[in-house]
Amino acid sequence: MLHIKNLHASIEDNKILKGINLEVRPGEVHAIMGPNGSGKSTLSSVIAGREEYEVTEGSIEFLNEDLLSLSPEERAHAGIFLSFQYPVEIPGVSLTNFIKTSMNETRKAKGLEPYPAKDLLKKMRDCLELLEMDKGFLSRSLNEGFSGGEKKRNEIFQMALLEPKLAILDETDSGLDIDALRIVASGVNKLRSPKKSFVLITHYQRLLNYIEPDYVHVLFNGKIVRSGGKELAHELESKGYDWIKQELAEV
Amino acid sequence: MSVELLADKLSSSFIVFENELNGETKTDLHRIRRESMELFEKKGFPSIRHEDWKYTSLKPVLKHDYKVFHKGDQALDFSDIKKFFIHDIDTHKIVFVNGVYSSWLSETTHQGYDVCTFSAALRRHRDVTDRYFSKAADNSSAMVALNTAFAQEGAYIRMTKGASAIKPVEIIHFTTEEAGSLLNQPRNLIVLEEGSDVQIIERHQSLGSKPVFTNSVSEIFVHANASLELYRVQNDANTASIVDHTSIQQHRDSRVRTAVFSLGGKLMRNDLNIAFLGENAEAHLDGLTLLDDGQHADHHTRVDHRVPHCNSFEMYKGIYDGNSKGVFNGQIMVRPHAQKTNAFQQNNNIILGEKASVDTKPQLEIFADDVKCSHGCTVGQLDDEALFYLRSRGIPEHEAKALLLYAIGDEVIGKVRLKELRNRLHKLMAKKLNVDFQMEI
Amino acid sequence: MEILDKITKSDYKYGFTTDIESDKAPNGINEDIIRLISSKKNEPEWMLQWRLEAFAIWQEMKEPEWANVTYKKPDFNAISYYSAPKSKKVLDSLDEVDPELLKTFAKLGISLDEQKRLSGVAIDIVVDSVSVKTTFKAKLAELGIIFCSMTEAIHEHPELVQKYLGRVVPRTDNFYAALNSAVFTDGSFCFIPKGVRCPMELSTYFRINESGTGQFERTLVIADEDSYVSYLEGCTAPMRDENQLHAAVVELFAMDGAEIKYSTVQNWYPGDVNGLGGVFNFVTKRGICERNAKISWTQVETGSAVTWKYPSCILKGENSVGEFYSVAVTNNYQQADTGTKMIHLGKNTKSTIISKGICAGKSNGSYRGLVKIGPRADNARNFSQCDSLLMGDGCGSHTFPYIEIANKSAQVEHEAATSKIGEDQLFYCNQRGIPTEEAIALIVNGYCKDVLSQLPMEFAVEAQKLLAVSLEGSVG
Repeated sequence: MLHIKNLHASIEDNKILKGINLEVRPGEVHAIMGPNGSGKSTLSSVIAGREEYEVTEGSIEFLNEDLLSLSPEERAHAGIFLSFQYPVEIPGVSLTNFIKTSMNETRKAKGLEPYPAKDLLKKMRDCLELLEMDKGFLSRSLNEGFSGGEKKRNEIFQMALLEPKLAILDETDSGLDIDALRIVASGVNKLRSPKKSFVLITHYQRLLNYIEPDYVHVLFNGKIVRSGGKELAHELESKGYDWIKQELAEV
Repeated sequence: MSVELLADKLSSSFIVFENELNGETKTDLHRIRRESMELFEKKGFPSIRHEDWKYTSLKPVLKHDYKVFHKGDQALDFSDIKKFFIHDIDTHKIVFVNGVYSSWLSETTHQGYDVCTFSAALRRHRDVTDRYFSKAADNSSAMVALNTAFAQEGAYIRMTKGASAIKPVEIIHFTTEEAGSLLNQPRNLIVLEEGSDVQIIERHQSLGSKPVFTNSVSEIFVHANASLELYRVQNDANTASIVDHTSIQQHRDSRVRTAVFSLGGKLMRNDLNIAFLGENAEAHLDGLTLLDDGQHADHHTRVDHRVPHCNSFEMYKGIYDGNSKGVFNGQIMVRPHAQKTNAFQQNNNIILGEKASVDTKPQLEIFADDVKCSHGCTVGQLDDEALFYLRSRGIPEHEAKALLLYAIGDEVIGKVRLKELRNRLHKLMAKKLNVDFQMEI
Repeated sequence: MEILDKITKSDYKYGFTTDIESDKAPNGINEDIIRLISSKKNEPEWMLQWRLEAFAIWQEMKEPEWANVTYKKPDFNAISYYSAPKSKKVLDSLDEVDPELLKTFAKLGISLDEQKRLSGVAIDIVVDSVSVKTTFKAKLAELGIIFCSMTEAIHEHPELVQKYLGRVVPRTDNFYAALNSAVFTDGSFCFIPKGVRCPMELSTYFRINESGTGQFERTLVIADEDSYVSYLEGCTAPMRDENQLHAAVVELFAMDGAEIKYSTVQNWYPGDVNGLGGVFNFVTKRGICERNAKISWTQVETGSAVTWKYPSCILKGENSVGEFYSVAVTNNYQQADTGTKMIHLGKNTKSTIISKGICAGKSNGSYRGLVKIGPRADNARNFSQCDSLLMGDGCGSHTFPYIEIANKSAQVEHEAATSKIGEDQLFYCNQRGIPTEEAIALIVNGYCKDVLSQLPMEFAVEAQKLLAVSLEGSVG
């Protein structure tokens, strides 16, 4: 589904990604871990198409299509969803209005008619329930005045509605208390299916107690330096990132 | 005496002034003086018809027959005036009595950097004065032009490259009873060369009962990575008025903190212009005004963001009792291409007196899109809820009010970095509020 | 930037002229022209005298220069001060309306039939200064509501016109008000009797059609004690190379306990992308509130080359309330200097100001406002919020709020912020599948929500579309 080959990317001439290789097949859950500054968020930004980052080498294919030639909204229409580390606030734009626009633009891109308002509303209610969110959310301005936990829950809520093929969760767990984390994780688990894939980007192993990954990758200094099963995450948790650094230094 | 007569008197005084200068009239510097005089004669004193003077009339100040020229050193006993200095710490001092430099009361220096008088600099550092004189001040203002025309005496501070002042500099202008009605026009030139720093405190103090009118101009140049703190304490007699114009040019990575405390005087008009000429410079502009019957304070600030990546923070607070009047006009200008500017401005006013009034005009002029600029401005009273809370805890109304007002003042005073000055201002404020909190914060 | 170029060039969608025969006065202004206007309209002698006095006042006045706008001053002798569509007959039903005119309305997006059916809005339409149609008149008359053209009011209700005309905006008020008083040709008149709640929105559409004409309409709304009215006006003009002058005066009277809601969607021709042509919109709007009365101004200003306009409230009576909600958009070379004055004279008076400026292209937008609390206005309250949104670094945004407080019990709060549409906001929307243009419309409408929500529903929709059209392609 997602093929990343030898990806190099930089911002303002700083090389951040230095040859990433990653393959995600349908239904898989991949966790990407790594210390701060290793390039985790850059990777998610590049996949989603943030323009500040320049891809200097390599390729990304998504469903056998060259992802790098698409605009951010075209990537979204193709089925890529990024749960932002820092979701932005847009004053005055209600969540309902935002989601309606988002879903109907995606449908328009596929040549479909807009979603009937009644069905959309029902769908929103179902998803609210899934994430134990209050109805009041729908009329609030997008992320404005939301707590950190509310913002993250709102991201997963949108993910549930938009039904992406590939969801990238960028540090969705950071800053969440344990209850919020459990809600977010159970939301993700309920959305897992053989057709959907997830990339979890995280600094902590904690999230992986709730969402079990198929593969764990360690990103360090712009490269994936280790890959393995979920036991790799446990090893990282007990030994810390310094362990990896040391090992690399020895090599 | 009418405003027109005073202007005429100044014209003839200028001729007398020129005659006494002998050879100097041929210099470039004097050409600037003469042009400024012509400019003043063309414009005349500002009136409330000028947008910049809409809310402040100089008429009551200009009706007196001021003496323009000053006579020699008046004997003042240090013990009598000690209280006007920050006497608990050592400072450099530049002291003027009736507009004339008092070497007796001053403590200047030329070791590593210069702290002396403008007249001395004109004689000994002509290269510096030629380079900076009248380069920052806004001569389109009639009051600045008038000062420039007569510019001869004032403070001169030049921090050489990398120099750090070993102690703060105090500039004090005294006027005495014997001098009569006096028009005082000090001209300060302050240059901070690259990487230098200095703290400056300036005040004007009338010791007599006659009307005194000070028209002061300060030009300040803060070069790369230099750091300036400039504090003004205005707690003068109710017969004294001041129009103070300060223009500061800030270069790359420089930092400026200014604070003006307008606590006493008949009329206080402060024009503060800051221009950013180099990136990553930062300025803090603070003001606290606390007025009672018969007092008028007008703060005009202008922050000119000419280059990207500079930050300005402005906080002016005012408390107005009796029939006092407060004016605030804060302009923030962000020029085209001055992207990534952060400019914040806040003006809060409390009206206590039945006849007190406040006119405020916060002004934003923005020509660049990637900026964060905001201003907030309030006029109101003390919070009744808070007052009730304090009183319910047994604090009498007068003290409760004072406590709340003190808290407002402390937001500005608390930002003063010089501890001794901060203590002094706290005491001054407590005294003005007629309370004794018995504590040093 | 490509998007910018592509869409800023989108046409002014209301720029058509209507081929209607019109009766037009020769260019120039003098006493004879004023007499001609007055006689064309069969006006009584008192009206003519009032105009002539205004003309004398105007001749003594100078054009104001304090506003933050620059333009070539109009040549007042190159303008025709009277232009009327030639259909003289008084019309009773839409069937009798000139079909060309009906087409005009359809293009304006106001099909009268549809409006009538859907919303029950009563409309007075002023084309080139002359009122052509007032709908629903009979139904309103049952309630004692007078809603007619100014010309008709001068004939049918002279006592009301004489009593109120020029009482809030005196002829001496300013240069353009004086000019308007001398040469106004028509406008709307509205009187709501005591205790009556006007059951429908009253609406006027203004259109300048004829080239080389000025439009000088005069609107008078009087809400008697405890009455209520919501009044809407919309403005459009065809594309013309030369600048056209529009100098209107609006006066509102809200008697004890009355409420007037006055909404404007102004979309005069703004000139082309190079700043050629466009309407000069110099308007004086003011209302007076008696005890417990309320006046609420809402405006969405997207058109005109130069705008100079400060809808104001004089809060004379105790407990009266003034509100001002404004969205002002400038793009290309447009200039707008707009805001409000809230003059608090009575006790316990309250005012709210919400102003949202949006500047794009090479335009300049200024907010200029005055909040004045008089010495007798105990416990007066004001809240002001004046924000600007900048798009691109070629435009300028200015804020000039004057706050004059002479009463110790006043509570005044003013806040202002300048921002831009953030890259991160756009990226967030893009990531959720929303294309950049849609995202901008979404964000701008969100930014203006507090103002748009004040408009009656059908106007709010129109205003939203107008905003999107005015700003298309402003962010690259």
